[in-house]
Amino acid sequence: MADTTWFRRHIISLADFTPAEYDTVLQTAASFREVLSRRTKKVPTLQGQVVTNLFFESSTRTRSSFELAAKRLSADILNFAPGTSSITKGETILDTAKTYLAMGTDMMVIRHREAGVPLAIAQEMDRLNTHVGVLNAGDGQHEHPSQALLDLFTICTLLDPNEPHLALLRGKKIAIVGDILHSRVARSNIWSLTASGAEVHLAGPPTLLPRWFAEFVSQNSARTSATGDRIPHSGHTESEPSPPLGQLFLHWSLPAALENADFVMTLRLQKERMTQHLLPSLREYHQQFGMTRDRLKLCQPHVKVLHPGPVNRGVEISSDLMDDPAFSLIAQQVTSGVAVRMALLYLMGSGRV
Amino acid sequence: MTSELLRQVRLLDPVADTDRVADVLITDGTIAAVEPHIGDVPAAAEIVDRPGLVLGTGLIDLYSHSGEPGFESRETLQSLRQAAIAGGFTRLTVLPDTQPAIDHPGGVEFLRSSLQSSSTALPQVQLWGALTLGAAGKQLAELADLAAAGVVGFAESQSLQNWALLRRSLEYAQPLGKPIALWCWDAELSGGGVVRDGVEAMRLGLPGNPSFAETAPLAALLECVAAIGTPVHLMRVSTARSVEQIAAAKASGLPITASTTWMHLLLNINAVQSYDPSLRLEPPLGNPTDQAALIDAVEQGIIDAIAIDHTPYTYEEKTVAFAEAPPGAIGLELALPLLWQRLVESGNWSALTLWRALSVHPARCLGQPLEAIAPNQRAELTLFDPQQTWKVTSSSLKSTSTNTPWLGQELIGRVIKVWTP
Repeated sequence: MADTTWFRRHIISLADFTPAEYDTVLQTAASFREVLSRRTKKVPTLQGQVVTNLFFESSTRTRSSFELAAKRLSADILNFAPGTSSITKGETILDTAKTYLAMGTDMMVIRHREAGVPLAIAQEMDRLNTHVGVLNAGDGQHEHPSQALLDLFTICTLLDPNEPHLALLRGKKIAIVGDILHSRVARSNIWSLTASGAEVHLAGPPTLLPRWFAEFVSQNSARTSATGDRIPHSGHTESEPSPPLGQLFLHWSLPAALENADFVMTLRLQKERMTQHLLPSLREYHQQFGMTRDRLKLCQPHVKVLHPGPVNRGVEISSDLMDDPAFSLIAQQVTSGVAVRMALLYLMGSGRV
Repeated sequence: MTSELLRQVRLLDPVADTDRVADVLITDGTIAAVEPHIGDVPAAAEIVDRPGLVLGTGLIDLYSHSGEPGFESRETLQSLRQAAIAGGFTRLTVLPDTQPAIDHPGGVEFLRSSLQSSSTALPQVQLWGALTLGAAGKQLAELADLAAAGVVGFAESQSLQNWALLRRSLEYAQPLGKPIALWCWDAELSGGGVVRDGVEAMRLGLPGNPSFAETAPLAALLECVAAIGTPVHLMRVSTARSVEQIAAAKASGLPITASTTWMHLLLNINAVQSYDPSLRLEPPLGNPTDQAALIDAVEQGIIDAIAIDHTPYTYEEKTVAFAEAPPGAIGLELALPLLWQRLVESGNWSALTLWRALSVHPARCLGQPLEAIAPNQRAELTLFDPQQTWKVTSSSLKSTSTNTPWLGQELIGRVIKVWTP
């Protein structure tokens, strides 16, 4: 196992992740990828610990990935599912979390359809002086840190299978294409990729890529650490994370974003965007921003395409491209997901027992 | 006969526009003397002699929400009035969106009789009548009847989305001579936004509400006022651009007054990084440029008054995701200490600027007189200790609800006593 120090109890946002933390995650995930290639794919690291999946928003893929990761670490796992819950019976989100706390949960993996819920539960756990760690598994349009970290691991592993590390991305051109506005995956990826020193190019129609994104990583507005200062008026902020090395560019048409790109990240488009006047039709969207084999010719010859899934075939990415192993990293992303989530649970869980 | 002598208090009188140190003698609720030094003190007089106290004209709440009737678990009239007194308010003006709404004389009578049952020294409670039936924005309420029943004016706590109805309200209510308070907010343009649109909204991953969801209907409303001539009070002004529109409209002589809320003066969207549901407001907190423009606008008098817009919600109602929380926060007990600390102690504003915007200007927006601090006047005064510290907790608050981002924090400044006429 990588020899590392880890001080973060909760993983809510990548906005304040340091390069050292990224490297720790990548190294640890590489170790677990090795474990997963063994005949016996299980380690006793979290034996006796309880990991709870609190998925207020239903999800099968991410929940399964976390569940498998926890099981490979020998943790006991509890699953909270919204349909069968008492959340509709007047229980608050904090009540739900406290119920699982009372059962002896050590780590909570939380997904909610609205931004801020994992943070609220993390703050409540701290306020109660528990040692429970909270991992944000996607909150509204805010962040999805484990997805961005598995994307990072997938890319870095491709660049150096033996020693994936952050600096491998320095100077690489990465395009993120599609519905940036509604994407928590895009937001987490913007933080991690700019921190790596990559050139990040966002592309989408103005309705799905507001001009505000150009300033997304700029330092002029004070950010506090995600679980940090809750006091809105205290006038001081916690120390800033190191400024991003990489630059962020915004494009309202696809070709400039794709030109010489090393990697292209496509995003899922929710079909209800048409009713919100954000797009005229899926057809026109695919025509303007869909990834096709033809469009890939603008990129570097070695370009790879990523997608967080589930894919709308023929909308954000053409079906044949998605299935082409020469270009598509989609399967590797899913595989990486387990190793990266093992790494995150391991880092949060070790040091406590 | 009871007398109170306040020795060497800092006397803030925005009516007379003076800020000076004096002795004040109050006898049986009437100001008996205001002099540099009062030598002739009644034998039984209670003497308050503490340096640094501030005595000002009574604070006047321009609009706040009552839980009662309808939502007594949020706030009762009793707890609301106690909160107002604890915060230094001598007059409290209740919005009509109670359940049932204050949209007919019976509702006014009901509230008035509930208010009479209490004996404690409490603020004067006055009622905004609903402009529309059920405060639902669909059909005009019986405004003349409501006026006769004694409402202070007409307000829609929610924004009217129907311009034809708005036009007819302004025309119909004109001869009634009562203030009309309106909030400019376009539901369609706001598009479900819960924070002010901009880069911080993008980082927070919360749906953005653009400034023009306020300024577009404001421009339309100003056109209506210019054509119809009925005076209007603009509630909850929250954007820098609105300040420009209001300044221009006032310069051209339109009969308008305006208020922002104390929360919009103290905070901006950066505070929402905590995702505290108490910061979910409608309109949302502005960007830093909006906040700065509002602070300047109050100082320059472009925005006349600071409203409290006290909006109680229970713990269960607010312990949800930020975007799902009902909008609003409590404020009656917190506004003066925080505004004083952040805007007066910091040197942004003179003490008189703050006091004016919390007392004489809200009174003027309501079309009410407020007397200068002078002998023979009934005492309507607020005594404030800018140095006293206290902790905001559910037990220190008089309000039944605790939906405020300052819960659990130590504040500097507290109201000691209020005299109501």
